[in-house]
Amino acid sequence: MRRSDRYRFYVVLGGLVVLQFAVRGRLGDDRVAPDFLLLGLLLFTLRARPGPSAGAGFLVGLVRDALTPASFGVGALAHTLVAYLAASSKAVFFAENLFVNGWLFFAGTWVRNLVVAAASGKLKGGMLGWELLVWSPLQSLTTAAVGVLVLWLFGRHLAIRLGDA
Amino acid sequence: MARGADRYASRADTLVFLGCVLLSIAAMSLPDGVRGPFARLLRQTVLAPFLALQQQSELVSASLARYERVVAQRDSAALAATFLPELRSENARLRSLLGLGVRLGSGYVPAEVLRQAEPTSALTFVVSAGRAQGVRPLAAVVSPAGLVGMVSAVDARTSVVVTWAHPEFRASAMAADGSVYGIVAPHGSEGPGRWLLELQGVAYRQLVPDGTLILTSGLGGVLPRGIPIGTVVGVVGEAEGWERTYLVRPAVHPAAVSHVMILTGPSLRGDLRSAFPPGGPGESGDTP
Repeated sequence: MRRSDRYRFYVVLGGLVVLQFAVRGRLGDDRVAPDFLLLGLLLFTLRARPGPSAGAGFLVGLVRDALTPASFGVGALAHTLVAYLAASSKAVFFAENLFVNGWLFFAGTWVRNLVVAAASGKLKGGMLGWELLVWSPLQSLTTAAVGVLVLWLFGRHLAIRLGDA
Repeated sequence: MARGADRYASRADTLVFLGCVLLSIAAMSLPDGVRGPFARLLRQTVLAPFLALQQQSELVSASLARYERVVAQRDSAALAATFLPELRSENARLRSLLGLGVRLGSGYVPAEVLRQAEPTSALTFVVSAGRAQGVRPLAAVVSPAGLVGMVSAVDARTSVVVTWAHPEFRASAMAADGSVYGIVAPHGSEGPGRWLLELQGVAYRQLVPDGTLILTSGLGGVLPRGIPIGTVVGVVGEAEGWERTYLVRPAVHPAAVSHVMILTGPSLRGDLRSAFPPGGPGESGDTP
């Protein structure tokens, strides 16, 4: 990997963090808008080993827990699980495919919301069903769409090799 | 970049993963007295620039919306100059939208809601006002339509608000005429009654008709008296013939709120009924 690629990668991650805090609030319904922070984490897992990915997931989740104190620690657990599974799944799936990466973003977002909703214990019954069957899939879809767009635009500069989608 | 066999999780990867999981579970088990200061430390250090960025973004967004509204008002004013009654009507509408702050007088802090992406963001959220603006723990958080929640933790420039939808939220409440008192709590999270409230502990002999406005009672000294909570929509249960529980439709939905007012100052311990007149703003729960 060239040194310039590494810098570009972290510039893209920084851009996603800025989008999360500066732009996301203007993208409509909060439950549907893409999660740029989680997308940055999933992009990181595309390049990193499962151990560092789990560590990064834990840190991202802990930081988010400070912003949604309704269930402190649950975000850290959810992001750790998602990051580790995403990094490990590259050994199973053909990770260079844009379509497969899109599914990875979709599944990662949905599983994160599943773990947060289940482990927090704050959502039950109908509310849990709506969250997991309606709002989470929609948020996963928008996050995956942005992720695919980012990979399509910057994939060659991020040392993430993409085959024919 | 390294590829191929190194993608498989090694023993070190697995140990790091298990360590992170254990730390997460430990974080979930922390008592409130520890997790609160820790979360506050993160908000005041690592997250401070990002929260400032989000606050600026919200301000820009609100400014753009206000600009469009001002342009629309200017056009309306130009048109209404030839139709004075319409101009008066427009003025009356804008006064009603802006009226809450005037009716409250001093002793409130306006704040933007800094929303996050997680499913529990309607239960607690961060607002863009903190200790520097005079916010204190347990301060009431309202919108023109009524009660949104209360402040649970205060940082230097941000605060954490627990909304009425949080399972642990409780408020002392009364009927608008002061004839009935009880405790308001979330109705639950299942079935068609989700996002509703319950008025608990009403004496069996006291009937509360549907449509009765429920206000905060001020008992306990936490929330000021007279903030609308919601309206009664029916009886949800009875306890062995000595008390009834009523279902209450909330005046404000937390997910619909983008701006709030945080009540501060000892002068607001009085009755706030005059600040929330009946037939005021609807149930959007959002400030103009």
